[in-house]
Amino acid sequence: MRVGVQAFSLALFTLLFALANYRLPDWLPADIYLRLDPLLGLSAIVAGRAWVPRAIWGFVLLVATALVGRFFCSYVCPLGAILDFLDPLLFRRVKRRTVDADASLRNVKYVVLIVFIAAALAGSSLVYLLDPIALLTRTYTLALFPPFVGLVNLGLDAVRPVAEAMRWMSIATLSYAQPVFYMSLVTFLIFAGIIALGRLVPRFWCRYLCPLGALLSLVSPLGRLRREVGPECPACGACQATCPMGAATDEGGTQAAECIQCRTCVAACPQDVITFPASPRMLPEGGSSRPDLSRRGFLYSVAGGVGMGFAVRESPFTPLQNKQQLIRPPGALPESDFLATCIRCGECMKSCLTNTLQPTLWESGLAGLWTPKLDLRFAACEQECNVCGKVCPTQAIRSLNLEEKTHAKVGTAILKKEMCLVWAQDKLCLICDEICPYDAIVFRTIDGYRRPFVIASRCNGCGYCEQRCPVEGDSAIVVTPIGQIRLRTKSYVAEAKKLQLDFKPHPGDDQFLLKSEGLRVGPEKRDDARPQPQRPTPAPAATKPKGFLP
Amino acid sequence: MPHDRSTPTRRDFLKTASTGLAVGLVGRAMPAMAAPDYDLAVVSGDPAAATRKAVEALGGMSRFVQKGQRVVLKPNMSFASGPDRASNTHPSVVSTVAQMCLEAGAEQVMVVDNPLQSAELCLRRAGVADACKGLKNTYVQMFTDRKFYREIRIPQGKVLDRVEVIKEVLDSPVLISLPQAKSHSNTGVSMGIKGLMGLIWDRWSFHSRYNINEALADLATVLRPKLTILDATRALTTGGPGGPGEVVKPNLVVAGVDPVAVDAFGVGVAPWYGQQFKGRQVEHLLAASQRGLGKIDLDGLNLLKATA
Repeated sequence: MRVGVQAFSLALFTLLFALANYRLPDWLPADIYLRLDPLLGLSAIVAGRAWVPRAIWGFVLLVATALVGRFFCSYVCPLGAILDFLDPLLFRRVKRRTVDADASLRNVKYVVLIVFIAAALAGSSLVYLLDPIALLTRTYTLALFPPFVGLVNLGLDAVRPVAEAMRWMSIATLSYAQPVFYMSLVTFLIFAGIIALGRLVPRFWCRYLCPLGALLSLVSPLGRLRREVGPECPACGACQATCPMGAATDEGGTQAAECIQCRTCVAACPQDVITFPASPRMLPEGGSSRPDLSRRGFLYSVAGGVGMGFAVRESPFTPLQNKQQLIRPPGALPESDFLATCIRCGECMKSCLTNTLQPTLWESGLAGLWTPKLDLRFAACEQECNVCGKVCPTQAIRSLNLEEKTHAKVGTAILKKEMCLVWAQDKLCLICDEICPYDAIVFRTIDGYRRPFVIASRCNGCGYCEQRCPVEGDSAIVVTPIGQIRLRTKSYVAEAKKLQLDFKPHPGDDQFLLKSEGLRVGPEKRDDARPQPQRPTPAPAATKPKGFLP
Repeated sequence: MPHDRSTPTRRDFLKTASTGLAVGLVGRAMPAMAAPDYDLAVVSGDPAAATRKAVEALGGMSRFVQKGQRVVLKPNMSFASGPDRASNTHPSVVSTVAQMCLEAGAEQVMVVDNPLQSAELCLRRAGVADACKGLKNTYVQMFTDRKFYREIRIPQGKVLDRVEVIKEVLDSPVLISLPQAKSHSNTGVSMGIKGLMGLIWDRWSFHSRYNINEALADLATVLRPKLTILDATRALTTGGPGGPGEVVKPNLVVAGVDPVAVDAFGVGVAPWYGQQFKGRQVEHLLAASQRGLGKIDLDGLNLLKATA
């Protein structure tokens, strides 16, 4: 039964991950597993110093754990499921002994938890490093999703000749866009390391490291379903040998905080003396089982966490925020709030329609590790898509409707004349103008030639121009953070209006420019235009649009 | 893989193309066909009805599509916008032509483009996928992966000597061009000849490396639609090719075998950037006509003007 629930939960997690794309309906919370994680919500709230509505789900899980016990780890957690399912596959033949330092290692997870919460108190979000749900979602996005698509395409390529011969055109023409990400390998190695630790002892991660498990174990002894061993227990040790958490102790004892209620011991017990009855008592016999952490250990952890929090925050990167070439997703909170709130789950990058959202490595220091940025030379931000905010579990990227999202300006395109084919080489290029969804690029007649200009008040930084610019190497038109709008609350539309920005198309703009007397260039002026040796055809008359001859 | 006899090899394709060039107009190179009464059919009215009437005026779809042939349709659908913006061909024009091809016995109709925005969004918002949904053996497909393209030589190319083209286009005997009439801030207008750029892989080089007008004429020597149906039901007269811009409604569908003549007529249906032009004033059309790809002057052409 448990394995079935676990498999279902992993499948659901994977399905919701797959559904996180731009077609995601508004009612479907694809990020529900991340919302259910109370540690992520808590850290975002504490570090960001603001309430996160979606974190309410995490408190639901905390309450459920306090009522029932630590069932999440054995029934719901997708990482726990992966560890459980891979364990027999990878380590069946490995003889594992109990870890010598078991008792002190178990405290590591509490230290990790305290460090993260203390860092959050100091204003830095570090929980993403080891939170299981964030870590697994990130691994799915950056490390597993791209090779999965690659494999599917390989399979399609293999059957393509057959499909073509049979005229199965839907299959013959099928190919999926290959997602690619920076930092895939390092993300995968962390995940692989967690799997590999299982070689020492089953669920090594859950026993010793998982900060979410640590948080849940603080309240789980309150749960009413508790392991009870009958007096007939022969102390055969079968339960101790099989317990994946090492929670069963000698002679029928239980480490209540460590028990994840998987009931493996019930099945293993030859005498059937183990039960999980609903207990009317608040606390198990022997009182609560608080973590065996000394006061000194606790204080060290707090100090370490606060210290790390400051170390991450107080670096030149913080005063340099918004002074670096880093474009954040539309609707991202103001930078310091964004860094404190983002849990680096990578759900936004997974769902991004164009694959422009990429993990940040060093561009904003340690505080920005794995945060999403727009890589606009690689891909643009599609104006008809607002999925990144929809799937953000902590709302570090605000969930906006399309109208609001259009006005959440991420930056402004700057045209580099010395690199532009039209400005520098008199080539016939219009790609930035052609692709601009907001008509923010206009051509004006300068020295007898029509040259592109950016109208900054119409550019919301979507980056289509930067991506499509045919110049080799760096684009001749680059989106910079100039003029980005980052709001904690309130409407982007109202803000854009206040700033007199307008991202609505202006039909007939070119016509206006053509008719405007001030921009006309007479033939006498054209004569002193500089010579154009590279030009294969004579320049069209100044008053004629490009492509037309006199 | 055995070669399907109904599809020409690349060699056949090039032979046909060069024969066509030598004789002049492709339609007139086919002695088996009855001489068409009209060079151009210009029909005003609802997009679907006008399209049907225009094709019928040229002798019906069976003049262009034989039973069991594979047909490729090339509309404009590379922008994620609806028909109102006039940067894409009207979906009814595309579905009507696909339907007529099927009626003429086409084995398969493949509607293709190489989009400028997200393929999925273009398919949805341009409305072509929806319009063709009920039609059997009809596929609407964006080719965004290089593996679906194959390089061919351009024997008569002046600036362009080879180009990678969607394989399906090379392997199908019939190509029908379904351009949207629109302005273009490099080439003046974008119609049938300019629309051929949606069939190739590396369109950026046309802007960065080559003179786009000459390159387009080169491309038109190897990509020879059997029929061009210009959708001028709406025309994007400024802000093209992607828009947004001013949209006027000439309410016309212009069909013809001669791709240059269709485009040349299209130049006259609306003022571009607020000015009236003739086909001869459009650089890439002039270049195409100078390569013998078609007639750029409309005098002497046999026009049918009708209302659907």
